Amino acid sequence: MAVFADTDALYRTLGGFFQTLTTAEEGQLIHRVGGPVLFVYHRPEGRLLWSPLPPPGERPAFRVSYGDEAAGEIPLLTFEQDADTAHRFWLGEIDLAQALARQQLRAIGPLSRAMKLLPHLDTVYPRYAAWIAGGAGA
Amino acid sequence: MRVQASVLADYGRLELEELSLDDPGPGEVAVRLRAAGVCHSDYHVYSGDLPLPTPMVLGHEGAGVVAAVGPGVTSVRPGDPVVLSWLPSCGRCRFCLSGRPELCRVPATAAQHGTLPGGRTPFRRGAAGEPVYQFSLTGAFAEVTVVPESGVVRLPPGTDLEAAALLGCSVLTGTGAVWRTAAVQPGESVAVFGAGGIGLNVLQGAHLVSAYPRIAIDVSERRLAAASEFGATHVVRADQASALDRILELTGGEGVDAAFEAIGRPETIAQAFNATRAGGRAVVIGVAPPNAEVALNAFAFPSQEKTLTGCWYGQSSPARDIPALLRLHAEGSLRLRPLMSRRYGLGELGQAFEAMLAGSVNRALIVFDS
Repeated sequence: MAVFADTDALYRTLGGFFQTLTTAEEGQLIHRVGGPVLFVYHRPEGRLLWSPLPPPGERPAFRVSYGDEAAGEIPLLTFEQDADTAHRFWLGEIDLAQALARQQLRAIGPLSRAMKLLPHLDTVYPRYAAWIAGGAGA
Repeated sequence: MRVQASVLADYGRLELEELSLDDPGPGEVAVRLRAAGVCHSDYHVYSGDLPLPTPMVLGHEGAGVVAAVGPGVTSVRPGDPVVLSWLPSCGRCRFCLSGRPELCRVPATAAQHGTLPGGRTPFRRGAAGEPVYQFSLTGAFAEVTVVPESGVVRLPPGTDLEAAALLGCSVLTGTGAVWRTAAVQPGESVAVFGAGGIGLNVLQGAHLVSAYPRIAIDVSERRLAAASEFGATHVVRADQASALDRILELTGGEGVDAAFEAIGRPETIAQAFNATRAGGRAVVIGVAPPNAEVALNAFAFPSQEKTLTGCWYGQSSPARDIPALLRLHAEGSLRLRPLMSRRYGLGELGQAFEAMLAGSVNRALIVFDS
C-alpha cells in the first residue's frame, strides 16, 4: 500500500516537513546549493519546490511551493521519484547511488551541488522520523 | 603525524595543505607514497561529475612503502613495498565469497562517504580538526595515507614503485576488462573507445591474448599514436570519420566481438554497443556521472542477443591479479614504464589534470620524495 493516499497527504507530510526545515539550522544549506530545487513525485503525483530566500543566515532560508505554484521557477536541480521512495529517502533508508543506478531516483542538474546537502542529512533524517511519529502536522 | 596533501577544497579548487594524519587503527596500514597515477576518476571528482564530499584528498592509484601498521595487521610490516588497492573488500559477503570482490558493498559504501569502512577519515585539518575526506579509501595524493589492510598488496623487494603504482588502477582495470569481463579469445576482434590510461591497457591486454583486429577510437592524434604503440592494429579519429562505419568495414560488416568504452560518456557507450556484432559483448569501463542515462535500440537486445555489461576495477582480485601482472611485466610482455609520460610534484596536480585532458600524456604520475 502506498505511503501517501493522495496528493494532499503527500503535501501535508513532505511539504509540511519541508516547511519545518525552512527555519531549521539545516535549512541554511540551501544557500550552498545555490538555486531552486524541484522535487517531482509520482504515485501520487505532486511537485514541491524549494526557492532560496536571501540573504544567507535569515530565516526562513527558503520558500516551499506546491503543485502548479512550483512550475513558475526554473530549478537548478530536479529530483524525480515515487512518493514512497521519497518517504524512505527522508527516513534515511535509501542508498542514493543505488537509487540513481536503478532509476528509482532521477536527478537532473549539477549533482555536485546536492553534495553540499548530503553530508548533513544524517541530522535531517531523525527530524523526519520525529515529524512522522508526531503525526506529520496533523 | 603531519603530511602534505593535495586537497580538493571544493569542486574545481585544489590546495596543497598540511594535514594531520591519524595513526593506523586496528586492521589499518599507513603507507608512505612514492608515486601515484592521475586518473580520469580523480578529475571527475575534481569537476563535480562524480560528486563526493569535500574537502577530500584525491588519488587512488599509488604505490609506496609501509610506514606503520595498526593492531592485528599480519600481511605486511613496516618497510614492505606495497601497491594500493582502492577496493579493499571485506572477504565475507556473498560477492567476496563468490569470487566477485569488486562488487563488495563495504568499500563501495565507504567510498561514497569518503571515509574508511568504519566511517572515519584519517585526515584532518585546522585547529578544530575538520575531517578531510579520502577518495576511494586511498587518498594517494598525500605523502602518507592510512588504508585498510586489504587495501594494500605486498610487492617483492626492489620493485619499481613508479611502475607498480599504475597496477593499482589503470593496468588492472584495462587488462581485467579484456581477460575477465569480456573473456576475449585469440583471434576475436576488439574495439576500444578512448585511448587514455585505461584504453591503452585494454589494447595491451587484447594484444597479449592475440585478439585481432584491435581498433582504437579517439579524437586525439597523440593518444591514437600511443594506442598503436600499445597494440592497436587500426586507429580511427572519431572527429574525422564515423567510428561505426570504420569498425563495420574492418569486420566484414559484422561488428566487433567485443567493444570497450573507456571514456564514460552516454554517446560512446551507445556507440560501443552499436559497434558490437550479434552475440557480441560491449563492456562499459568509463565512469559516467551517476545521473547520466544512455539511449539504446531496445529491439537489438533480443534480436541480436548482444551483451552489454560493465567492468569495475577489472573484475579483479588485487591480491591475486597484481602479482600476476608484475610477473608479466618482469617477463617483458606487459609494458608499464611507457605508460608514464610525465612526472609532477604534489603541488602540480592541476597541471597534471590539464595534460591529461589535453591528451598530451598516457598517464601523469605524481612522485614523492623518498
